[in-house]
Amino acid sequence: MKARLGVVLTLVVALLAGAVAVAPASAQDPIKVEVYFPISVDSPITDILNGYAETYEADHPGVDIVFSYEGGYGDVKNKLLTTMEGGGELPALAIMLATDIYDLRNAEAIMPWDDFVSEEYLSDFFPSWLANSYYDYDLDGTPELYSIPFQRSVVLMYTNMTLLEENGFELPTNWQELAETASALTTEDRWGILIPNSWPYWMFQPFAIGAGQNIVSESDTEVFFDTPAAVEALQFWVDLYEKYNATPAGVQSNWGDAPGLFADGSAAMILHSTGSMPSILSKADFDVAVSAVPGKDGGFATVTGGGNLYLVAGTDEETAQAAWEFVEWLTSPEMAVDWSINSGYLPTRMSGLELDAWKAHVEEVPQAADAVDALQYAGREFSVQSLGDVRNILHGYILKVLNGEMSPADALAAAQAEADDVLSVFK
Amino acid sequence: MSTPSAVLKPPRWKSWRAHLHPLPYVLLLPTVFFVYLFTINPTFRVLRDSQIYYHPNLPARPKMTDLGLPGVPEEVRTLRGPHNVGLAYFRAFLDPSTRIGARFWRVMKNTLLYVVTTVPVSMLLAFIFAVLLNRTVRGIGWARMAFFYPTMLPMVSAATIWLFFFTPEYGLWNLMLEKFGYTGPQNWVINPKLALWSLVIVAIWKNAGYFMIFYLAGLQNLPTDVYEAAELDGAGWWSQMFRITLPLLHRTTLFVSVIAIIGAFQTIDHALVLTRELVTGEADLLLYEIYWQRFENADYGLANALTVTMIAILLVLTMLNFLISERNNA
Repeated sequence: MKARLGVVLTLVVALLAGAVAVAPASAQDPIKVEVYFPISVDSPITDILNGYAETYEADHPGVDIVFSYEGGYGDVKNKLLTTMEGGGELPALAIMLATDIYDLRNAEAIMPWDDFVSEEYLSDFFPSWLANSYYDYDLDGTPELYSIPFQRSVVLMYTNMTLLEENGFELPTNWQELAETASALTTEDRWGILIPNSWPYWMFQPFAIGAGQNIVSESDTEVFFDTPAAVEALQFWVDLYEKYNATPAGVQSNWGDAPGLFADGSAAMILHSTGSMPSILSKADFDVAVSAVPGKDGGFATVTGGGNLYLVAGTDEETAQAAWEFVEWLTSPEMAVDWSINSGYLPTRMSGLELDAWKAHVEEVPQAADAVDALQYAGREFSVQSLGDVRNILHGYILKVLNGEMSPADALAAAQAEADDVLSVFK
Repeated sequence: MSTPSAVLKPPRWKSWRAHLHPLPYVLLLPTVFFVYLFTINPTFRVLRDSQIYYHPNLPARPKMTDLGLPGVPEEVRTLRGPHNVGLAYFRAFLDPSTRIGARFWRVMKNTLLYVVTTVPVSMLLAFIFAVLLNRTVRGIGWARMAFFYPTMLPMVSAATIWLFFFTPEYGLWNLMLEKFGYTGPQNWVINPKLALWSLVIVAIWKNAGYFMIFYLAGLQNLPTDVYEAAELDGAGWWSQMFRITLPLLHRTTLFVSVIAIIGAFQTIDHALVLTRELVTGEADLLLYEIYWQRFENADYGLANALTVTMIAILLVLTMLNFLISERNNA
């Protein structure tokens, strides 16, 4: 028995020695920069990104870019956090929701970019894209930059201009016109407007901002759910079906169905992400106008969304440097424009709009320019500490109102009180 | 038995040795190892960790807080944890006035409602299907396959098909209801009032065919002489059904009800597909809540305490079943 054990031990040692002897060879390998990325739009994202990796590697032989597709945004975040806890091999970069910044930093899953980025680099990003990128975790008064804008979108209003013009309407410029136009265009088999309310905060924010106040500020511990602006915004949603019969009553419209219903003429206007523009434009056989959402008394409002590039905590210096160089290339004006044209996300760099590639694209798809235009009206996307809990509270009360169980004022006051209770532990 | 023979018995250690056959134990080892690795070890770890507050998506800076848990004294600590809080989560469960308690009872109410609707309805349907299919007609094989078909589909695919049925405007489910004059809300899966019922409907559709197989097997094993005797005695279809068939099938019924109840506690796939977008809790079942607290909210201690609760419920149900079937066997 003992002799056999000896043989086994010798074998194990021999194998280990072999592994060690092979290991030094791998030191010659290029630096591996793995990127976890999610897919949440209807474009061949994997092909585009793999093409980028090849292009970059051709110019940078010392680097190996590996894009790992992990599912949706939630899957990427869970995979990263679980791998981190289990002590597995981590990627250097991950594309995750801009709004997850607090959760991710608190979980010690990400590191700041401040050591890498320059003022000049940052100043070329549209300021709205950076609104969810900073977090003053150490409370020293200077927020750190934790994410770099990458696949970004805003809420857009898609309008069937052919239909509007046939009926003698122009693009609505305030809530009154919006409601009346939508009401007039509602028929037995067509709704005037669809506002998907299965994930309500994102659709709600443009209305709250359009009535004068966003539901969040710069602060990570404060929400503004019960302001007159928010109450008016929610009341307007209710009015759209109660008073104007312009949209389905109650909790109705589904995120996934709206673009299809708009494209086949079953809805005259919808609110949806810029990400749906390529598929809508390819399917619709009428003139489509895109804009930000009209404000209550004129003007426009919208809200940002989408994912940013995060540097994963624990990435060694050499890999982090390589990752940053790749990010700098990937977010360069040329690449940002190329990414926008191919994926349907909005460009992130202002100077990119001057490039010929973008100008040619806009020539072909004028709506792309209007979508970029909408960006100037974008407010900061809803993100605070304990986001899951606070968001659920708001969602719950919005749905209660849409189901006719509460008035907007009562519901939002209750939402504010509950959210304050959750956020009070951070103060 | 006389005393001398006792003297002649071999010493105790020898008889012990004679009974020790190592081979069965060796053969059991791999199973024991995996049961330990995937069942026993996690169970004890979750028992231990249900007393640890750990919330890694909250900041690690110290502040004065009672962590929002009843019975935990206020002191300077981090919101991130880990902190030992003893049985605070279970105290919170028992007190519906706390945030955790209110949420817990809502989830328990949903789960109970889900179990008491899906289990009896799918079992009743299973029995009716089995009786209908327990005959020899041409093409009965096809009919049996049609009823069993939903079982062969993975739950995720079944839920995806139903998600399409539940779609407003053009979903089959709504079109059918409209024919019957229904004008209510159409988008079932995101409507707080209807979402739980959409889960119930899909679960019944999915499970009835599976339970039918057990009833069909049970029916085909029933002795025919009893029925002949009953017919000679002039017993009609109904009295045969209620006085012979059902009583003879009670073991099948017991078995099916146990797997149905345990299964109802363990399904989560259809909730992830169907009602994931409904974030307000009206359709949250216990297992889904565990998933949400662990992965979306990162409240590890709460997820562990919920898991302990679930294990306790399943243990009690299994033991009850064991006791009842033992009593029936006696």
